Amino acid sequence: MHEVSIAQSILDIILKECEKINCKKINSVTIRVGRASGVVVDSLVFAFDIIKKDTIAEKAELLCEEVPLTAICVNCNKDFISDEEYILNCPYCGKSEFKVIGGRELDILEMDVEEQ
Amino acid sequence: MKVKVISRILEANDRIAEDNRRLFNEKGIYVINLMSGPGAGKTSLLVKTIEALKDSVSIGVIEGDITGTEDAERIHSTGVPVVQINTGGACHLDANMIEEVLPELPLDSIQLLFIENVGNLVCPAEFNVGEDIKVMLLSVTEGEDKPLKYPLMFQESAALVLNKVDLLPYLDLDMERLKERAMSLNPKLKVFELSCKTGSGLDAWTDYLFRMVAEKNR
Ligand SMILES: Nc1nc2c(ncn2[C@@H]2O[C@H](COP(=O)(O)OP(=O)(O)O)[C@@H](O)[C@H]2O)c(=O)[nH]1
Ligand SMILES: [Mg+2]
Ligand SMILES: [Zn+2]
Repeated sequence: MHEVSIAQSILDIILKECEKINCKKINSVTIRVGRASGVVVDSLVFAFDIIKKDTIAEKAELLCEEVPLTAICVNCNKDFISDEEYILNCPYCGKSEFKVIGGRELDILEMDVEEQ
Repeated sequence: MKVKVISRILEANDRIAEDNRRLFNEKGIYVINLMSGPGAGKTSLLVKTIEALKDSVSIGVIEGDITGTEDAERIHSTGVPVVQINTGGACHLDANMIEEVLPELPLDSIQLLFIENVGNLVCPAEFNVGEDIKVMLLSVTEGEDKPLKYPLMFQESAALVLNKVDLLPYLDLDMERLKERAMSLNPKLKVFELSCKTGSGLDAWTDYLFRMVAEKNR
């Protein structure tokens, strides 16, 4: 699905970055993907592997750090982590008003490049 | 050699969305990004909404679809300005696509702009286009499990329109359960139950739109 456009954004950003620092080969790029970001990591890697052909990222591996969904309950103030992609209730008090504090990320962190 | 590249992946999209938003604010246009799965009734809702509001609010529409112009023609026949975007396969509209067609709309005379997104429950929620609110449309024929399967969509939306309530007598849908699940994902969600076929429930929806437009222009 839209993993292709996200893969394309990643590629655009890292290629531009490489132009700036004048490097000619990318070995890997590390990104952070929240569990609730709506992105399917496998599909993203698959898409990236297709579109990287014929660029200096041709050999680059896309490494994804997954971030679990975490939230703070508005009612009891406790924070908690969910294994799911969504939270319905606070596991402590059962109320369903909470602030999501992690799990929506979709960021590039770093890349590993060959020096000249 | 490791190089830090701290950057939001959707940064480019968000930047353009901000440009769009600035323009909308300048012109006082209230913008709704309307999202749903295919066939839930987005175009039907727009046609009904335009019919109800067009004497009191000036409306414009951007139609997003993978291909075709049928929807734009349906809107065109109501008499409001409409532009069609064919994404050519992409499953959502992004901020750039919107920016490109804005010059084709008479922005100075539009107070309420609807953007009908591509029919898809997953992707559109992630791509801001500069809208004031996202509205999710769900047809009651789609079942009560949708909030669990597409949580982001429910969490990002300010309003949820439950369409095709005329079909409820033929379904086993547990409406209360559906609403409960939606509300627990997003307690601030405004829920409208209506039928584009019979027109029932439309008033509450159009009143809400009228208020939002008035507030933006105050
Ligand atoms: N029974 C019933 N059918 C509806 C209603 N709203 C839309 N439809 C039908 O659902 C189908 C898809 O509607 P459309 O507006 O094209 O959906 P879109 O793909 O989301 O734009 C059409 O055949 C409509 O006539 C409704 O409230 N009740
Ligand atoms: Mg349509
Ligand atoms: Zn709690």
